[in-house]
Amino acid sequence: MINELKDPRKIFGEAVIEASETNPNIVVLSADSSSGSGLGDFKKKFPDRHFEFGIMEQGVTGIACGLATTGKIPVFAAIAPFVTARNFEMFRNDLGYMNQNVKVVGRCAGLTYDQLGSTHHSIDDVAIIRTIPGVTIINPGDPVTIKKAVHAMIDHVGPCYMKIGSPKMPVLYEEEVDFNLGKGIVIKDGHDVTLIGTGTVLSKAVAAAKLLEDEGISVRLIDIHTIKPLDRELILSAARETGRIVTVEEHFTTGGLGSAVAEICSQECPVQMKMIGIGDYYASNGPYEELLGKYGLQPDLIKETVIKFIKNK
Amino acid sequence: MDPKEILKLEYTALNIRRNILRLIRAGESGHVGGALSSVEIVTALYFNLLNIDPGNPKWPQRDRFVLSAGHKCLVLYAALAERGFFDKSVLDTYGALDSRIPGHPNMHKLPGVETNTGALGHGLSIAGGMAIGLRLDRSPAKVYVLMGDGELAEGSNWEAASAAAMHKLDNLVVFVDRNRLQISGPTLEVMSYEPLDERWRSFGWRVRIIDGHDLELIISTVNETPFEKGKPSVIIADTIKSKGLSFAEGKVSYHYWKANPGEMEQAEHDLNNIEKQLKAKMERFGL
Repeated sequence: MINELKDPRKIFGEAVIEASETNPNIVVLSADSSSGSGLGDFKKKFPDRHFEFGIMEQGVTGIACGLATTGKIPVFAAIAPFVTARNFEMFRNDLGYMNQNVKVVGRCAGLTYDQLGSTHHSIDDVAIIRTIPGVTIINPGDPVTIKKAVHAMIDHVGPCYMKIGSPKMPVLYEEEVDFNLGKGIVIKDGHDVTLIGTGTVLSKAVAAAKLLEDEGISVRLIDIHTIKPLDRELILSAARETGRIVTVEEHFTTGGLGSAVAEICSQECPVQMKMIGIGDYYASNGPYEELLGKYGLQPDLIKETVIKFIKNK
Repeated sequence: MDPKEILKLEYTALNIRRNILRLIRAGESGHVGGALSSVEIVTALYFNLLNIDPGNPKWPQRDRFVLSAGHKCLVLYAALAERGFFDKSVLDTYGALDSRIPGHPNMHKLPGVETNTGALGHGLSIAGGMAIGLRLDRSPAKVYVLMGDGELAEGSNWEAASAAAMHKLDNLVVFVDRNRLQISGPTLEVMSYEPLDERWRSFGWRVRIIDGHDLELIISTVNETPFEKGKPSVIIADTIKSKGLSFAEGKVSYHYWKANPGEMEQAEHDLNNIEKQLKAKMERFGL
């Protein structure tokens, strides 16, 4: 039901179990991380396909590579910075360079480990994994698309990085929504400005778009759930047709969705852009919603930023 | 083992050393020290122990060989060419633009290469994953890993070593090429992981220490693996870095060799001498 709040990790875990019922090659690897990743039930249901390794993310990344060489589809979920930053060289060489069919899932991504501070925030994961050729990066923005993303990720042959948050998040889509890797979803058409959201803050962009409509601003709202490969055509047509793009992400403005969009637009259709996200500093700690507010990621603040951006042009 | 078989393998080891020289001639330089110290280990694997098919390099039931110390790739290329995975003329492209045999191996470029190694401390984890995957498939195949002794300072190896023991990977066999030298000097002085046997044993492995240039001993030791059911096996192979080149043996400066013409001539002379000794042996056997 639209706006119903659901637990992203639970949805993720259930989808992995669902995929594993029909695909015997799926195995789950845990770095003392399965229970916190919504995969506790997987272990109960498929004990022979669940492997525990303790806290060794570098080792598990290599082990996942080796398993994939034998035709298995390893799913490795853990706290986001530990499966992207800590093990980066293993991700790049063993999964990327060797092009192995491994699914790495960073959970509690972004600022969702709010109180735990910068060691546990993951606001650079897209930036660093995006540098690895051949890795698909998926950042679904609601429970319905998380489930669809899991199935799409399993069906896709090749290394993937998917990120999910931890607080309950609202349902934004009907079950029937069409979800394809590499294809953005136009949630709403408009002509004054394009608002592009991704992941945990997609719902904030959706709410901001409504506030902007109330102010008489026509917003084209796009969900970029696949940051790599990016939906080039969709972004270029938005640039051409609305002339202004604002990106919204729970990530550094360096290297994330905003950067990826700018890389395309600056070369093929330069337009005015504004990137809403976290600047070049370590994010603070505190209650999650307040942290989002601190970095301008609440709907009213997004609205204000967009209005200011449009007026300044 | 039949002495004639051993002699044949010794000839193969010589050919592999000749292939390594051929690579250096093409590329003008390379990581020769650790390649030459592990020639007998790799010869025993590719010409006696590994269940592989050069005509079908991706055969799912094959034994796997993971070259964790990817800079030893010269010995891998030399052995794969000798075993018929690709034409020996490929060896003459070492160092050339877009060569299929880069300075660290690339599985996408060459048949028979299992992993893209080069950054140290990756191979053992990958091999552990292979061993789990093969066991899930109830495959009789084994996974062999070649590591350098300097490489053991990478902490990721010890994550993998713990995991292999915890998951009882007795289809996993590791060689540590203990030539006791690394770029900056003797491993004992740079960062000692000795006593290696005790260290591995304490991680739950079963250990043998052998002469890493004794082909018969390498084969008989591997044939005894797993040394204990339910435990991974490690063979610490004592070797001489740059083995076979009189001017370079045991010298730290030949970790990476930029060959001058005089040295190249001496190297060929040294290998010819080995061939003379092997011929004399053949005559003794009446071959």
